[in-house]
Amino acid sequence: MKEYDTFVLSDPETLIEDQEIELILRDLTPTDRRYKYRGFYAKALLSRSETKYPDRLWIRLGRGQLQEKPWSIKILKEMNKFTE
Amino acid sequence: MSYKFYKDNREFIKALDSYGELVTIQKEVDWDLEMGAIVRRVCEKKAPAPYFKRIRDYPNFEALGAPLATYSRLAIAMGMDPKARVPEICDEYVRRTSGRPIQPILVDRGKAPCKENILTGKDADLFKLPGPMVHDGDGGRYLATWHFIVAKDPNTGAINWGMYRQMVFDEKTMVGPVLPFSDMGKMFYGKYVPKNKPMPFATVIGCDPLSGVAACAPSPIPEDQFTGMLMGAPVELVKCETCDLEVPAHAEIIIEGEVVPNVWIEEAPFGEYTGYRTSPREPRTVYRIKAITYRNNPILTVSNMGVPTDEGQLLRSFSLGLEMRRLLESQGIPITGVFMWPESTHHLVVVGTKVAYSGIATQIANLIFGSKLSPWFHMVIVVDDETDIYNKDDVIHALATKCHPIRGIRKYEHAVGTPLYPFAEPEDRIWSRGAQVLFDCTFPLHWSKSDLPIKVSFNNVYPKEIQERVIKNWKEYGFKE
Repeated sequence: MKEYDTFVLSDPETLIEDQEIELILRDLTPTDRRYKYRGFYAKALLSRSETKYPDRLWIRLGRGQLQEKPWSIKILKEMNKFTE
Repeated sequence: MSYKFYKDNREFIKALDSYGELVTIQKEVDWDLEMGAIVRRVCEKKAPAPYFKRIRDYPNFEALGAPLATYSRLAIAMGMDPKARVPEICDEYVRRTSGRPIQPILVDRGKAPCKENILTGKDADLFKLPGPMVHDGDGGRYLATWHFIVAKDPNTGAINWGMYRQMVFDEKTMVGPVLPFSDMGKMFYGKYVPKNKPMPFATVIGCDPLSGVAACAPSPIPEDQFTGMLMGAPVELVKCETCDLEVPAHAEIIIEGEVVPNVWIEEAPFGEYTGYRTSPREPRTVYRIKAITYRNNPILTVSNMGVPTDEGQLLRSFSLGLEMRRLLESQGIPITGVFMWPESTHHLVVVGTKVAYSGIATQIANLIFGSKLSPWFHMVIVVDDETDIYNKDDVIHALATKCHPIRGIRKYEHAVGTPLYPFAEPEDRIWSRGAQVLFDCTFPLHWSKSDLPIKVSFNNVYPKEIQERVIKNWKEYGFKE
């Protein structure tokens, strides 16, 4: 299982479950540890249930406050905002 | 005339060591929070600068923490006695930077250690550098905490070196706040963005200490020339690999690229110089990188913003205060000095003056708040010349006893602010709105002499011969100091 986190700028209660949404994630468990906290845009499904989707998602508020209970996440697609 | 200076970070590290201002850490430390925690504790304890010899996951890198977080280290950087008093350092800084600017010189790439390793294309990957996770809860790894960014005005060719924090987003992208009233903000948002043109930049990490001091200074003199004035000799620059910018040849790490117009990525939160994580995560300015060049075994410099005292607070207070001194002196205001304590996180300007005429405190505050630097502070305390502006106890005493709670306090509304003010309303942070206040700690001139309270201190209420006798016999009375 991989772990990610995301920052929620408003109320975490407003996060939409089980619908495809776009968000910024940070990779907390990369194969090469040097890449920890790498950020990327993704389309994903989220659930408040820790077990519904394959990977774990930690929620932080706008000033970094870590929420106690993790969510679960299924990443559908990583998106590149830049075309070289 | 050249002053004693250190041409690179490595010579400075040796000097810090020789003066007992360095602790060399041979034990491996983790870039993920451990290194940041050590630097934070160093700042809070005013301990010697930590020199990290081994960083987890990055075997060929080293790091120097809190390089200029004390006045002693600033004195060493300026080639002065580490025990120099703060007013002496201030006067020396003003003296050196009041003459003619000294132009930098360009050196060949072969004489530029920062070109010892060059990464371009796919190899130019920000995760190959040991950017620390500075504080738990930060929005990312901040590679650039003690550094500066070089940019050039597209119309005038004027060079700007400024410290703008940069968070690593991915292999090729950094992101950070560039406030619209900052020098680089005016350049980028005023001249590049309207034409939808990217702005070339170069981030310089691990520069010589005086280049860092110059990059913090709010002087109108271009920072490369200002560095020369502090050194008394030209700073040596070298051409970048991918753009026409020039960077200090002896720096440890250079990151080259472009600031991208009309694209924003979320940045922050970050433990900031105010001692809080204040400005929220929000879309900020984007830097895309093209090349990384670095010295063999490069030494990253790491600052850790938080509660006082870190080098951002110390140097920014130092140079902002002295720029205000220059401004007031240039207007012929009879001041005795200007000082900003680092503990005020450069929010508080203390001005000493001879009270030559009524309304002088307001005149001083109007000039200071009217300067382009005023978004960085919001409090001015004006004291008379019997108050020592460098002595916190003395100024607090003056504030608590001489400032009338109504007529001594003047509020300025609708000022420019920053999103970093912890006291600001969330809406004010978005629009950089602020407010300012003057504390006039002078007695009114129209009071008759017999009405003036007399300061009761050892130096003030005893005849000179009594003072001298007491000082001479002090140990004989049984006191140690």
